[in-house]
Amino acid sequence: MAAPAQILLENVSHVYRPVRGREVLALDQVSLQVANREFVALLGPSGCGKSTLLYLIGGFLPVEAGSITVDGKKVTGPGPDRGIVFQHFALFPWKTVRGNILYGLERQGMPKAEREKRAQDFIELVGLHGFEDSYPSQLSGGMKQRTAIARTLAFDPAILLMDEPFGALDAQTRGLMQAELMRIFQRTPKTVIFVTHDVQEAVYLADRVAVMSARPGRIKTIVDTKFDKKAENIFKERVFVEKVDEIWHLVREEAIKAQGRRST
Amino acid sequence: MAVRHVTTRARIKTWPAKAARILPLLLARCFSVAALLAAWEILARSGIFTPFQLPPFSAVVLRIWNDGAAGDLWINLALTLYRALAAFAICVLAGVAVGTAMSRSGLARWFFDPIVSVGFPMPKIAFLPVVILWLGVYDLSKITMAVIDAIFPVIAATVIGIQGVERELIWSARNMGASERDLLRQVVLPAALPQIMTGLQVALPLALIVTVVAEMLMGGYGLGGAMMTASRFANSTGVFAGIVEIAALGYALVKAMSLIRRRLLAWHPEAHAPSTV
Ligand SMILES: Nc1ncnc2c1ncn2[C@@H]1O[C@H](COP(=O)(O)OP(=O)(O)OP(=O)(O)O)[C@@H](O)[C@H]1O
Ligand SMILES: [Mg+2]
Repeated sequence: MAAPAQILLENVSHVYRPVRGREVLALDQVSLQVANREFVALLGPSGCGKSTLLYLIGGFLPVEAGSITVDGKKVTGPGPDRGIVFQHFALFPWKTVRGNILYGLERQGMPKAEREKRAQDFIELVGLHGFEDSYPSQLSGGMKQRTAIARTLAFDPAILLMDEPFGALDAQTRGLMQAELMRIFQRTPKTVIFVTHDVQEAVYLADRVAVMSARPGRIKTIVDTKFDKKAENIFKERVFVEKVDEIWHLVREEAIKAQGRRST
Repeated sequence: MAVRHVTTRARIKTWPAKAARILPLLLARCFSVAALLAAWEILARSGIFTPFQLPPFSAVVLRIWNDGAAGDLWINLALTLYRALAAFAICVLAGVAVGTAMSRSGLARWFFDPIVSVGFPMPKIAFLPVVILWLGVYDLSKITMAVIDAIFPVIAATVIGIQGVERELIWSARNMGASERDLLRQVVLPAALPQIMTGLQVALPLALIVTVVAEMLMGGYGLGGAMMTASRFANSTGVFAGIVEIAALGYALVKAMSLIRRRLLAWHPEAHAPSTV
């Protein structure tokens, strides 16, 4: 790869040590390089450590084994340069949709008029017009998810860590959001690590797809998926279908392994 | 504009319907109390009890009315209310502060945890003689007694509330650039507010109860003191008047607290459910 790695993971392992119960080795010697402005999709069976990996890059969990650097600097804590969209949204329930989106902009010290306008732009973008003053408890799962996406996009991080950001959306909304995301990245290019269970989505959005093994999580294979995706019926093109098929088989193998271990 | 017009008309149209729906509910809710009061009145007039043992409710109401006209009622009511609310305010500030410190600093937890564990289940009224010895029998000692009792539920609720805050909420705030100082005020306390409010809803009636008990035991003005005075003069109507006044005051305070809760927690899913109390 010609471009220098912006995110560099070297032999990162992570063990959860709950106060009660047994230790879990969630990640085992994971190494990964993500170039500046690259879009990497992360696939793998449930419980293989995808969220954990994002938490480590985000600086929310301490890196205890191995090293993670972003722009050459060791990750020691969270920062607005790495925006995360949590799998379970993590919206502030006491703030409205608008309040949630404004929070990050306020923390950045953006002037009031400007941040109000920016928040409104992102509300429109994710199709939540008319729900600006609703609280999260009044929203559907998909609406919460769109609020969470808008909240993170609004403060414009250089790196986006997205944990199944479209998981709660119906197929149509999902398609629209994917297209919207691609448009945003064309305007303001970003480095993205994107967790998903949807192989088609991964192949469509990503430059590379990393398939993780069942727990303890490792990067099993990385598949290059950078090809021209502008065609009208891209989902039916042969290159596309073949890539989906290849990755689908890799993921399926791991899912069976994870399943098998669970039942023994 | 058109939309607003329609909703206004709809509201006017449904208002009598709404009243028709709510009124029976309201009556039904008051029914048990009304029945109890009626039974009291009938029993008192039946001759089973002497008026000294059980004065009729109407006589008690008349007595309250006269006390109100004379002004005694208001002095006693105001004093009891002042003591209970002062104690409650101290409990809110100190209780939330101690609870927060306990959840955030190991040192504070090490120091306060044994005190709370021993103090919470203990009958704090046992401190009364000591408090009288140290602080006398006036406002300060009555308020102190109420604080000693009512602060524990606030501390416990704050600790539990803060412990229950999801780590992802804190992470997402830090992700958006919140500092450690921002976190407490902007994320931790709002997220723990439903639990803290529950603690406060326990603490307020407790503060009132202990205030009245302290007034009864220490004497002086206040609803509790007035009841003991009436009892000393064998004025049974006065004693029962005190009971009714305390019940009414307690109800008003609890009701006010649940209204405040609904306002503060308008964002909470519970706010969309119909009220029960
Ligand atoms: N807080 C925790 N304490 C203990 N173990 C945990 C904790 N969080 C996760 N784990 C364990 O770590 C492993 C990886 O969890 P993680 O959430 O990263 O998986 P995931 O790949 O994101 O799964 P999913 O696709 O279901 O979201 C899981 O097997 C889980 O048992
Ligand atoms: Mg996950």
